[in-house]
Order: sequence, then C-alpha cells, then structure tokens
Amino acid sequence: MILIHINNIPQSLTEPTSLAAVILGQNIALDSVAIVLNAEVVPRNRWQSILCQHEDKLELFSAVAGG
Amino acid sequence: MPNMSTNKQLYNGETVSGKTLSDADFMRYSRQVLLPEVGEAGQLQLADACVAIIGLGGLGQLAAQYLACAGVGNLILIDMDKVEVSNLPRQLLFNDGDIGLNKARVAKRKLNNLAPHCTVTAHETAFNAETHADQLADVLLAKQQGKRVLVLDCTDNFATRQSINRCCIEAALPLVSASIAAFSGQLFAVDQMQLPSGGCYQCIFPAQTRVSQSCGTQGVLGSSVGVMASMQSLVAMQLLLSMDSDCDKAQNSLLGHFWRFDAKSLVWTSAALTRDPHCNVCGSKELHPSFNMHSKLHSMEI
Ligand SMILES: [Zn+2]
Repeated sequence: MILIHINNIPQSLTEPTSLAAVILGQNIALDSVAIVLNAEVVPRNRWQSILCQHEDKLELFSAVAGG
Repeated sequence: MPNMSTNKQLYNGETVSGKTLSDADFMRYSRQVLLPEVGEAGQLQLADACVAIIGLGGLGQLAAQYLACAGVGNLILIDMDKVEVSNLPRQLLFNDGDIGLNKARVAKRKLNNLAPHCTVTAHETAFNAETHADQLADVLLAKQQGKRVLVLDCTDNFATRQSINRCCIEAALPLVSASIAAFSGQLFAVDQMQLPSGGCYQCIFPAQTRVSQSCGTQGVLGSSVGVMASMQSLVAMQLLLSMDSDCDKAQNSLLGHFWRFDAKSLVWTSAALTRDPHCNVCGSKELHPSFNMHSKLHSMEI
C-alpha cells in the first residue's frame, strides 16, 4: 500500500501510480492545475513518468491570474 | 557593474564610485540606509535602477508607490486601462476624480508628487507583441548600461502573463510576478541569467492551461491584494539591492521560488521552481549575457 497526501488529505494507492493518473483519479483536468511534489514544482511534461512514492506530499493548485 | 562589497566602503561619505547621497536624501531614506543590506551604496544603486511595472491595478499601483518612494530612480508604467469606480476600494492611489482617466497617466502624475526624484514614464498602451519593444526599450538600455533592472508583472489575465514571461526570458530580464483572485495569491521571481534552473512561468503553467480565476469574476479584498503587492515589492527591493549571485546566496534564494498565499488562513506555502527541459519558452534557447539591443528587440517580436 502506498500512502500519499493530496492537499493534506491522505490517499492510498494500491499500485504504483503516475502523477497524471493520480490527478485524473481526482477528476481534475490535467490542463487545469500545477503540481508541487514534496515542495518542488513538477513540470507537466513529467507527470506521466513520475510514479508516486510512499509518503509523497502532493499539492495541486490552479493558476491565479488576477491583479 | 559596481557591486555593494566594493562600493559600500564609506569614507567621509564617499563611495568607491565617487557618487554620494545628498544630505536631503540621507534624511529622506535614513531608515533604509541604516540597514547594512542597503547602506549608502544600496541607496545609490536604487537611484540608478530601472523597473517596469506592467499593470497599474491593485498590485501595480501599490508596488509603484513603494518603489518610487523607496528611491528607485526610474519607473516605466504600462497600462491601457482607465480608472473605474469599482477599482477605488483597493487601488488607493486613485480617487473619484480620476475615473475615466488612463491609469498609467494618473499614476505618473501622483508619483511625481509622492517621489519627485523618481523619473516616471507612462505607456498608455496594452502590453503585446506590437508594443513591448517600445515599452521596455528604456529597461533594456539601462540593463546594457549595467544598471539594476526588473520587470514586475501586475497584470490581470493569463495571456498577458504568458507574454510578459516570454518577453523577459528572451530579453534576459529578471521578472517578479504576483497575482491574486478571491483569497488565493501567487508570487514568484525568475531570472534566466542568475538562476536558469528555476525555469519560467511557462514551466509551471503551459500556455494551454485552463484558467478561471480573476478579480473581475471572483472578487477580492483590497487588503489581500495589498499583501501580495507588498511581498512583490519586497522581493523587488531585495533583488535590486542584491549583489552578484556567487557572493550573496541569501538574496538570491528569493529567485526560483513559487509562493502561494491563502488569504483566509494567512498561510504562505513555498515550493522550489524547476525548469522544464522541454519548455518552449525557456527550455531550448541559448541565452547570451550581453546582447545587441537591436537584434534583441527584433527577436522579441513574438
Ligand atoms: Zn520555461
């Protein structure tokens, strides 16, 4: 069992899962968010190839453009 | 470029570069000059600096006041919008009498009163592929002259933010970008010359990103806009005062970070930026520390 945290909410994965699959599993469109993995922004091009590790902390957020 | 370590040695008020602060400026900026991180040399460095502020809304109008009043010598203000009544609760530089007037023009007039030593140039045009070479020409010139330069992104839409990012990458200008809508603020600083590994805005949010948040559709509290503008100004001041990258890790640790602010819980979250090697803005380009201005202006046309 792989336990991760998405925006501070625990989530368990039964098999190695990519960042992209985790986001899609949350019903979030890939082109609507950025991902911070363990305090580092992960460019969208790498989401398919990075598999979540036990105790990974993910933060998902969308772009804020106002000012 | 004179750096603070050589320029800061004070002897009877003389700096190595020969310039000194006037007595009036010593009085005016005394609370800044007292800081070892500023000193007389830093204050002189600010007087030489040139900062472009794109967008004179909630963020830009406050950042412009902080920088002008702190002694930044040259400000370029860029905004095509006019002051509207719905701006007034958070854009405190403007008042009822300014409604209908161009924001950059009004801001220039008011800053001339607040900070008479600051040379303010107003561009009453949108920032886009046709206009930005002209709008940023003074900044590029100052950069070529070895002065401290900076671009502040204070705009209110994603497309312009993308275009500013691209322009700063291509012209090798440091960028400090802040944004806010509802209770979410974002802030980051990138500089392709000093920290290429930090990547750029496009590395975080590619151009096709779906964006829904804006102040116009989601609303915002003026004080939370002020927090973001103050933080943006604080980052800007430190970058303008910082020394060369190798000898000042503390200052440059402000580069390559992405901060988010939750204006409800007052919690700040920081993340390190990483470059996307495939980024079509910063990923594949060869950057040159010194470039020919004319060829650069030409290549900046997106
Ligand atoms: Zn990039």
